[in-house]
Amino acid sequence: MIFRQTIILLIFSAIIGLAANYISPNGIELIGKYRDISSGNEPIIPPNAEAGDPSFIALDLAELEFNRGEALFVDCREFEEFECGTIPGAINIPFDDLPDENLEQYLDSTLGFINKDNKIITFCSGDECDLSLHLGRNLKAFGYTNIFIFFGGAREWENFGLGVERRVDCGK
Amino acid sequence: MRQIIDNDYLTLLFRLVVGITFIWASVYKIIEPGDFAKSIWFYHLVPGNIINLSAIILPWLELLCGVCIILGIFYRGSIVWINVMMVVFIIALTSAVIRGLDIDCGCFKAAKSSGGSTLNSLLLDLGLIILTIQLWLSRSKKWMLSKS
Repeated sequence: MIFRQTIILLIFSAIIGLAANYISPNGIELIGKYRDISSGNEPIIPPNAEAGDPSFIALDLAELEFNRGEALFVDCREFEEFECGTIPGAINIPFDDLPDENLEQYLDSTLGFINKDNKIITFCSGDECDLSLHLGRNLKAFGYTNIFIFFGGAREWENFGLGVERRVDCGK
Repeated sequence: MRQIIDNDYLTLLFRLVVGITFIWASVYKIIEPGDFAKSIWFYHLVPGNIINLSAIILPWLELLCGVCIILGIFYRGSIVWINVMMVVFIIALTSAVIRGLDIDCGCFKAAKSSGGSTLNSLLLDLGLIILTIQLWLSRSKKWMLSKS
């Protein structure tokens, strides 16, 4: 009796759900394309990482934070690379162009004087680039408490088909 | 104790609370199955090729079970499904906490965080399970369409 009820409920739900999905303007494909990230997609940690560095996050968490919309993404590459394609909404702080003096004031200003406990995710092009690590260390040293480093960077982001913001067509 | 469990008004109250909660929880997921699918994906527990099917069917199962509990039809089947879904939510939330994924449960809103903490979601689920235990044990059949 109870088993029969559960089966009937499931069948009804499936029929109504599939029908509603078919006619709904927000309907989705029956089989979606999802990255399988349950099989060892650990964060990339560079060999020069040290104890006390900000946390490294994998692509899945970076995307999660992107979707939550609360974290500030900071692209640490040169402006020319940033223009060619970056994580949508990211700001550009080229690490190589940082001033030698008044660095803290410069970073505070460039970050728009956000709260120091605001979540900030630094990244650069990929695992051959450690600018995100260096900027993360600087921000941490200046009292920013919620720093994460997405070491997979813009390349891993784009390789997995996530949206990229391009200001200039660089022939990619 | 038996009298309290069988109390008609208490049983009706719990039916309404559980039913309305599930109906409420299903609405946004039904409207935005894509967002709910993404919510499921965030937990990294379900194989990618059945995420969308789950996102299409589960919200309707929630809605049907909520309606059935209030109306008193397919009553015990609905309680079973509600508890199965609760246990699955709790496992998913707990595993998310263990793995450091501070994510919203996706229970009442899909994908983007609604600001509710994972702990609150866990407590809510546990509370609802306790209510459904009373509903399962209660012999009250008052204000139910089906007396079986």
